[in-house]
Amino acid sequence: MALYELGLVLNADLEQEERDSFLDEVRQLLAAGKASIVKEDVWGKRTLAYEIDHKREGYYLFWQFEGPGSVIRPLEYKLRLSDQVLRYLTLNLDRELRRARKMEKRRAERKEKAPKGTPELEAPAVEGA
Amino acid sequence: MSKKKYFVKRKKVCKFTAEGIDYIDYKDVDLLRQYTPVSGKILPRRVSGTNPIYQRKLTRAIKRARLMALLPFVGD
Repeated sequence: MALYELGLVLNADLEQEERDSFLDEVRQLLAAGKASIVKEDVWGKRTLAYEIDHKREGYYLFWQFEGPGSVIRPLEYKLRLSDQVLRYLTLNLDRELRRARKMEKRRAERKEKAPKGTPELEAPAVEGA
Repeated sequence: MSKKKYFVKRKKVCKFTAEGIDYIDYKDVDLLRQYTPVSGKILPRRVSGTNPIYQRKLTRAIKRARLMALLPFVGD
């Protein structure tokens, strides 16, 4: 089980209903693969940085889901075949965030140590006096 | 009068080290924009002062953003 992030750029010209039905299909596919969606982040319509298939706008959304790696293959297969999807990108967030989490942990540890360190420094001074 | 020109060198700082940004997200377009001039190229380390570790992460993030049409491959 790993945390994944899926970024999607969909055709913005389509009706909201069509988009929703497609997204439901993707949701079902994820559920079938024993993956659960953790976070849904919808940006909505946004101008593309460059034209894709003569389109200037795209519908952006980002999902985070947790599940086994076996869902990725059927998921990407579906996205690749669909003509609604202009671009997609799946990332293994566990791998992406490995260093960030490590650094955060280290920072927290340092913070924990700091308050303890100060009385230790004071203690010998008192003995000396 | 000596006409010697001189200028004060500005110290370059790595934003990511200074602010403790560990993960550079490709979705953070405003951040990535700071490292891509209008040409759309990736600003070199020697100009931006970014540390090597973060420069590599930044590069990856910019390339991902380009794939998703968040940033241009070629600018104006």
